[in-house]
Amino acid sequence: MKLLIVEDEKALMDNMLSYLGRGDIVCEAAANFVEAETKLLSFAYDIVVLDIMLPDGNGLNLLRLLKDCQPEAGVLIISAKNALDDRVLGLELGADDYLTKPFHLPELNARLKAIFRRRKFQGHTSIQFKEIVVNTDTYEVKVHDVPITLTLKEHELLVFFIANKNRVLTKQTIAEHLWGDSVDLQDSFDFVYQHIKNLRKKITASGGEDYIKTIYGLGYKMSEA
Amino acid sequence: MNLLAKTTIFTLLLAMIAFCIGGIRMYQTFQYEVKRETDFSLLETFWPLETAMESGVPASELQNRMVFISEVNQVMPADTLYQFTDTLALHPHPKINRKDHLRLLTTSRNINGQWYRFKVMNVFIEQSDVRRITKNVLKDLFIVLGGMLIIFSILTSKLLLRPFKETMQKIKTFNLQSGKVPDFPKTTTTEFRNLNGFLGEMLEKNRRDYLTLKEFSENASHEMQTPLAVASGKLELLVESSDLNLDQLSLVQEAQQALSHLSKLGEALLLLTKIENQEFAPQTSFNFSEILRKDVANFEELANLKGLDFQKEIAPDIHLKLDPGLAKILVSNLLKNAIRHNLPDGWIKVILQKQRLSVINSGPPPAVSTDLLFERFQKSSQTSKSLGLGLAIVKKICQVNELPIIYHYEDGIHNIEIGLRKP
Repeated sequence: MKLLIVEDEKALMDNMLSYLGRGDIVCEAAANFVEAETKLLSFAYDIVVLDIMLPDGNGLNLLRLLKDCQPEAGVLIISAKNALDDRVLGLELGADDYLTKPFHLPELNARLKAIFRRRKFQGHTSIQFKEIVVNTDTYEVKVHDVPITLTLKEHELLVFFIANKNRVLTKQTIAEHLWGDSVDLQDSFDFVYQHIKNLRKKITASGGEDYIKTIYGLGYKMSEA
Repeated sequence: MNLLAKTTIFTLLLAMIAFCIGGIRMYQTFQYEVKRETDFSLLETFWPLETAMESGVPASELQNRMVFISEVNQVMPADTLYQFTDTLALHPHPKINRKDHLRLLTTSRNINGQWYRFKVMNVFIEQSDVRRITKNVLKDLFIVLGGMLIIFSILTSKLLLRPFKETMQKIKTFNLQSGKVPDFPKTTTTEFRNLNGFLGEMLEKNRRDYLTLKEFSENASHEMQTPLAVASGKLELLVESSDLNLDQLSLVQEAQQALSHLSKLGEALLLLTKIENQEFAPQTSFNFSEILRKDVANFEELANLKGLDFQKEIAPDIHLKLDPGLAKILVSNLLKNAIRHNLPDGWIKVILQKQRLSVINSGPPPAVSTDLLFERFQKSSQTSKSLGLGLAIVKKICQVNELPIIYHYEDGIHNIEIGLRKP
């Protein structure tokens, strides 16, 4: 997957580059409007991560340009504004998704992969982790080719884990992924624990291995080893 | 009552007092003049009689209806004494046969050695006539003056006060958000020109202050989010890249939670400011039942995970005129609150009816006074991770959209009720 990140804040750019660069994503960086414009006109990208507040131009104009010259590329907008108007305008102009600052890097990673799946395979795709196969379109999950039934939240959780395989996910990140803004409930971390317990149980019951490791005091990690 | 009506009435009252005093003075003067003139004319009638008698004309020839001359046999004292009195007598005109008020001159004279008593009478304008005339004249004058004053005040209000009224109208329709200071009407009246100038400057200054403040609060909140994103990302990378021990990991997690709290706090305060500034215009009405049903599903799961019994009675197709984003925030804040401040094995009930939305839940008695519950940062415990802004936002949304909100606590049951029909 080839990615262009348009972000003027250098420290934030470094975060994204070093987090995403560790996986199978090729990242390029553009720190301002002009640089981004040049790159968009010269190279093809699968997905563009776009900060719509740039010092030398409105990111929404870049979005328009992108839709003209690379209509097949996916767009994920990141913005400090959570204002409803920005969100709606960005999505109307053809952005695939929208993230509000501050965001968790695993969240960004999962969203990018979801966009990539939708764009490249028109959603008719399954993701695989060892013996676990998840069809993100039909919500079918198979372990060793045996279908298992997951709740909606368990399904979301599994996809989130697979998108961020071999990475540490804190309870907070998982809770916010599953419940969004309603998550500042103090005991939501216990809910995360319950969901993960159920998910583990369902996978191991079908003969799957328990790949989800608990990292005490912090969160969880899904890894092959 | 407007200013001009008050001035007119006040002027008319003053005029009435002036007319009363004037009327009394006029009556007195008139009365005095009439008496003087009548008395003088009586004397003028009398003097020729005296002269005629002295030249030998007999008294009987001089007498008529108005002149009586009689001989007096005793010696009268001081002969120059003229006595004027009012009397009732027959009218001087022979054809008018009725008694009338007359002025009578009585005097005695010694003519050619014989004493005579003279009584000369004349018609005289009566007191009641004088009074009536004075009254009528003044009444007419007063009516004319009153009419003129009313016409004057109408004209004044139409012509002179028009710029003032236009200014008032402009101020009334002025709105800080619309961002344009109105053009006040041109006027030649110095006072109004000063007023318009002053108002224009004041409104312009207010508008600038408002914009500065708005920009500041929005920027402060937005600019805060980027460094927060950076810090949170660095912590995530730290967790990824190194082998931290358990203590260090929990430090990282606490730091991340604090960052998340800070970010949400900024957003909530910005939201409050935006609602307060009425930046969310109520749009066309939408189906509130549907939004509520969708949002409730999310919270129902959280409530169930916490072991709370969740019931809902949502009437279909209830439309509400409110910003849909705000409606969602309203619902989620109410439900978050109901889940957070609940008892183990407690319950929550959400009821949507045509007139109201009620969120009823079991819970411990409120730690702060129920009046303060909707204030900012009134948390039941300082250690809780809640922002302390949820209900403040709910109240602000209700206030700005004129929806009545009632909170009621009794016997372990909290009930927040929001009226959906605008009062």
